[in-house]
Amino acid sequence: MKRFLIPAAALMLSAATASALAAPGTVLRDEKLYSQPSATSNVAGSATKGASVNILAKQGGWLRVTAGKSTGWIRLLSVRAGAGGLGGAGIGDVVGAATTKSDPSKVAAVAGLRGLHDADLKQAKYNAEELTRLDALSVTTTQARSFAGQSGLAAVNVPALPEPKPAQTSSPWENN
Amino acid sequence: MKTKLMVLAISLLAFNGVASGFDLGKLLEERLNQELNKDKKNQPAPAQPAPAQPAPPAQTTTNPPPANAQSAAATPPPAKQKIDARQLGFALFGEYTIEEENRIGRQIAGNLLGAVPLVRDDNLQRYVNLVGNWVAQQSGRNDVSWRFGVVDSDDINAFASPGGYIFVTKGLYRRLNNEAELAGVLGHEIAHVTKKHHLKVLKQSSLIGALGQAASSKAKDSDQVVQNLIGNGAEIMARGLDKNAEFEADRVGMVFAARAGYDPWGLPTVLQDLAGLPAKDSRTSLLYKTHPHPADRLAKLGEAVDGRLDGVRGKDLADRFYRIR
Repeated sequence: MKRFLIPAAALMLSAATASALAAPGTVLRDEKLYSQPSATSNVAGSATKGASVNILAKQGGWLRVTAGKSTGWIRLLSVRAGAGGLGGAGIGDVVGAATTKSDPSKVAAVAGLRGLHDADLKQAKYNAEELTRLDALSVTTTQARSFAGQSGLAAVNVPALPEPKPAQTSSPWENN
Repeated sequence: MKTKLMVLAISLLAFNGVASGFDLGKLLEERLNQELNKDKKNQPAPAQPAPAQPAPPAQTTTNPPPANAQSAAATPPPAKQKIDARQLGFALFGEYTIEEENRIGRQIAGNLLGAVPLVRDDNLQRYVNLVGNWVAQQSGRNDVSWRFGVVDSDDINAFASPGGYIFVTKGLYRRLNNEAELAGVLGHEIAHVTKKHHLKVLKQSSLIGALGQAASSKAKDSDQVVQNLIGNGAEIMARGLDKNAEFEADRVGMVFAARAGYDPWGLPTVLQDLAGLPAKDSRTSLLYKTHPHPADRLAKLGEAVDGRLDGVRGKDLADRFYRIR
């Protein structure tokens, strides 16, 4: 199914500038650009970690991007949406490309929206009634299987993904 | 004597923490302070719960009543504190039984629902249960009863509780575009349950509990004990998990969704969407407090996936996706 923009990025872009039909992104690791959304197609260029790209389209696990002078398909997981750079908490502001580290005490509330905060969770009182409601809405495995089958979903054999090797050898006492 | 035991417990915990990769620093400090304070305040009546605990939820449930009252009367105040060897042994080597897991998970889920109720849309809830249950069937864990719920909050987040309780906020649900994205989000939460991430955190805090609760160990098997273990309300949800547990849930959850026949790129697409949100959006403040930044999650997931799912073709089922009112 072809979708021509990541909806959120598109939405925000339209809010910021209505002209360009592209969303900004940042390359998360050195990658090849392919001529087609397939690693068996011709290599059309390359993009280095940290490079800015314009996201033009999305197809399955691939994004069509422009990086410098090249345009091609790059793996979806090798790019982050937004022009906030390589990432890390507090960076993700598309509008302010030169983001500074955000101060949690200065987080501005979006008007009218009430967030769920840790204080709410810490003070929460057990609600047996809601739990009963939740139980009543659950389904059986048979019902779920039948629902899956209605749309042609069938179990596929997909092997588990390997745990990535640690990027650097750090002290064994560092557990993060 | 007591100090020596504390030192022992801390060193054991430090060792355990390294082995399992969980960040214990804050947890340890909080829990230790809590237990030390409780210990002081509890001198006259050791089996009572800490005064800091608000009205115990167990009193409002249909679960068996707490055994505290009985044991408080039956247990004479001990002359000195001792580590309960059984509890210490459990904290180091034990596993929660499925019954214990269910009890703990239900308590946390009930607390979460106390903070934020279910969206009053039975068709939506039913749909999410049908999708979630199907994805969960690919997880290989069939000893829990899976329950899924959309909770009425504009916040963008999702939660899992042991025993198979999974919640997605309305704020996150509204951002989804198709069933494959929903399956990816639910897959991530299902993975927290199958990998027992929250139970591992609780088990480590139970080691601290082994010291403070030494005197009141007779009050076992009551939901008050469960409540003491998990802390106030759904505090464990606010505290979050170690970031490696989140990366693992991304890897495992993505595969669960793919095994269910969905387009495997649902979860990464949601992460892309979140990565593009402004940093100062209050709807993601708790998400960012308890999870690594989506950009870091994409990068980690990218390392694990590489070209491994290139051959997997799944469905995204945008047409069937239930649009929220």
